[in-house]
Amino acid sequence: MKFIKGHISLIFPLIAILLGLEFFIVFDRTTDSFEKGLQEGYSMIVVSKDEMSIDDFKAWDSHIEQVKELEKSKILERLNMNKDKAEKNSFEASLPNFYSLKLDDYLTVDELESVKSNLQKSSNILSVETFHSAYQSKYELFSFIKFSFQTFIGFMTIIGFFLIVKQMEVWNFLHAQRMKVMEIFGASLFLRSKVLINMALIDAVISAILTSWLFYLFKNSWVRGSQMEILKDNIEGVFKFSDVFILLFAAITVVLIAVFLVVINVKEE
Amino acid sequence: MPNVITANNLTLGYENDEEIIKNATFSIKRGDFVFITGPSGSGKSTLLKSFYGNLAPRYGSLVVGGLDMVGINKKNLQELRTHLGIVFQDYKLINEWTVEKNVVLPLWISGYSTEVQETQAKRLLHHVKLTGKEHKYPLELSGGEQQRVGVARALSKNPFLILADEPTGNLDEYSSNVIWDLMENACHQLETTVVVVTHRIPMVFNIPYRHFTIDENGSIYEVH
Repeated sequence: MKFIKGHISLIFPLIAILLGLEFFIVFDRTTDSFEKGLQEGYSMIVVSKDEMSIDDFKAWDSHIEQVKELEKSKILERLNMNKDKAEKNSFEASLPNFYSLKLDDYLTVDELESVKSNLQKSSNILSVETFHSAYQSKYELFSFIKFSFQTFIGFMTIIGFFLIVKQMEVWNFLHAQRMKVMEIFGASLFLRSKVLINMALIDAVISAILTSWLFYLFKNSWVRGSQMEILKDNIEGVFKFSDVFILLFAAITVVLIAVFLVVINVKEE
Repeated sequence: MPNVITANNLTLGYENDEEIIKNATFSIKRGDFVFITGPSGSGKSTLLKSFYGNLAPRYGSLVVGGLDMVGINKKNLQELRTHLGIVFQDYKLINEWTVEKNVVLPLWISGYSTEVQETQAKRLLHHVKLTGKEHKYPLELSGGEQQRVGVARALSKNPFLILADEPTGNLDEYSSNVIWDLMENACHQLETTVVVVTHRIPMVFNIPYRHFTIDENGSIYEVH
């Protein structure tokens, strides 16, 4: 019982940290593709006097990645004007040039405004429409969800670290006497901390396996049945086999730092 | 005989504290049996601590086993300690380890094989009259028995120097006699140097010994 208690008190906070880490990785992967979708679905409209090439646009702002000229005839079709062909042609010839621009990243509202003002510096550009309000509401909702989730993950990680610090104090109490005696008889730092290292490594492996198992279940039971598009579209990103190694590496790093801090704090009497 | 411990104008004191041992000059040779006595608080244990590098000299020099203890590096100190046998008044046994594992701690640290460790544990536990208690834990033994485990541990690697701090302080006569016999034998038969801090030199002692005393001012004199 004492043995299990000793292990659980390290495994529990370690799992909290690893869950935080894995949620962060998964969230990053799924939001990346969601962000990409938002970015791909967004374009701004620019009206110019003369024709402009992609290089002309890029010269004003480097965020511009793609330029598509909107055909004037299609714009006129949409307007559904009751005019004869000659009038239409003359009207079409008098129209300025319309362009749809795609950007290289999912920009913040401020960055978007900066792109707009850069383009407006050109005397050739008559108007820029960023559809700023629709963009802003989507962006703010997305940012809020991202911020809330990251705060939650950060909070979980902090609690995990506090629990590990508490466990380190317990270790210090349990192992200090043995380490002091061993030091008196000339044991190296490695030998003195061997028992703790072994124990901590076992706990790290158990924690990484348990966390991986939880995410495997999460992926295969809940996510597959979920109606959330963002998750369904990125189901493979929810948990990858390589994540086991990331979790294992993180767990081992955390426990080794903890062991090292305990060992160097044991002072000879 | 070569010197095992050489002190020249050795001054010892704890951090931010006054000097405890002042300007001590002495040498202890291979095979010497030395008793260090003195009133409580005179610095007997402090002096012993300096021999195993637990306390660095404040002034003067101290050479133990050929190593200068002033500014000794960790690696050399670890190496020196693996060749010392140290006995404490409070035993300093590892309570979660069995008696056998405690006895062979110095051998385990030096990487001796399990067979050597087992053979040596058996032999030493026989010498300290604890045969049959190999698998017991220290807290299952009496104070006298625990101290005999401590002495067995100190002897397990045949050290060139045994340092003992009040080894028989609170022990019964039987345990005290076993411990003195073992130390006498180590000194007499193996030429191990033994330095014992004690309040009282045993009435019956079978080998020649030297007697240092520390006065209340921290000065050391050889009285015998």
